[in-house]
Amino acid sequence: MSTTQMQMAASCIVENEVLWSITELCHATNAQTEHVIAWVYEGILTPQGDAPENWRFSGDALQRAKKALRLSRDLEINTPGVAMVLDLLDEIARLKK
Amino acid sequence: MKFKDYYEVLGVTRTATDDEIKVAYRKLARKYHPDVSKEPDAEDHFKEIGEAYSVLKDAEKRAAYDQVGKQAKHGQDFTPPPNWDTGFEFSGSGFDDKTAADQSEFFEALFGHHARGRQSQNMNAKGRDHHAKVMIDLSDAYHGAKRSIALQMPSHDAQGRIVMKERILDVTIPIGIHAGQHLRLSGQGAPGIGAGTAGDLYLEILFKPNALYRFEDKDIYMDIPITPWEAALGATVSVPTPSGSVELKIPAGSNAGKKLRLKGRGIPATTPGDLYVVIAISIPPADSEQAKEAYRAMAKAFDFNPRANMKGSS
Repeated sequence: MSTTQMQMAASCIVENEVLWSITELCHATNAQTEHVIAWVYEGILTPQGDAPENWRFSGDALQRAKKALRLSRDLEINTPGVAMVLDLLDEIARLKK
Repeated sequence: MKFKDYYEVLGVTRTATDDEIKVAYRKLARKYHPDVSKEPDAEDHFKEIGEAYSVLKDAEKRAAYDQVGKQAKHGQDFTPPPNWDTGFEFSGSGFDDKTAADQSEFFEALFGHHARGRQSQNMNAKGRDHHAKVMIDLSDAYHGAKRSIALQMPSHDAQGRIVMKERILDVTIPIGIHAGQHLRLSGQGAPGIGAGTAGDLYLEILFKPNALYRFEDKDIYMDIPITPWEAALGATVSVPTPSGSVELKIPAGSNAGKKLRLKGRGIPATTPGDLYVVIAISIPPADSEQAKEAYRAMAKAFDFNPRANMKGSS
């Protein structure tokens, strides 16, 4: 296994500092544009802006979109099912506090 | 290399139908999916299940696997026979980089040389973004830190096989980051295609497990053991918080489980998180005659039945 050492460029905390367009979010998560649009209309993601080309997603959307993608791919769940699983996971997290 | 019995992994017989295999996979996938599961080692389990399913759901791969697996048992040492796959033709459907890199050594020995990366040519595009998970200490989030992080990245060698390359990145951990958040390192993902710019690298931050503290977003929870008399009479105790020792006033009559909030003592931010100190009452052992006498005196002094409100079901 080869090893390369390199100096680091600046980093930023996605959740605090990033606003994504739909293209950027798709690139970062490897999700299809149609998926992201479906997730927005299902209420899984809640961007600012009135139309897909104007949408701005907060940094939190990264984790949520990654989860949605994994659930739909690995468990073959449809979009309303993914929405429900994510809501239930949020609920479990709240109850545990 | 150990032989992997994919049938055993999915808990099905060697004669299972496609439907039985699918049902078995779905059940196990729900149980071990890392986003949903609370089982220990869920992620490793899930990978194993996914690998087994990717072979058994595919008629071609299943037939080939059955051929090599006739005599072998799960966990046994195993070397694929030379040219074992002559006479089988794979249509080579659907491995992308990520799944191929997640496969076990066993899987790669059997099917690995069919894994191909998708190559896009004659176009310009931003390189793919990469993702990795990184464990940091809680104290890094309080004070910031510079950390060298070793990342293994799958890439293709000249024969198109997946090989692991390691690179070491010096990463600045900013003050105030917490578990579940991501750091973006611009330009540290895959190289761009054509004239495209390089992709970004996203690091998902996790905290190393800590004996004293639990984490919930920006908030930190810790248990503080106190004596029964400190709980009953109130006391001031010294609490080791991640940002230093704090003198904490325990109000009289604090029961076990009571949460005391230290505002702003959680993970630093513009609006910092809070630190919750959860009272745990620790009783001294009755290991001497004097100690036993003290407990007996308490029993006499109190008319106290903590089970007064419990009613049996009969």
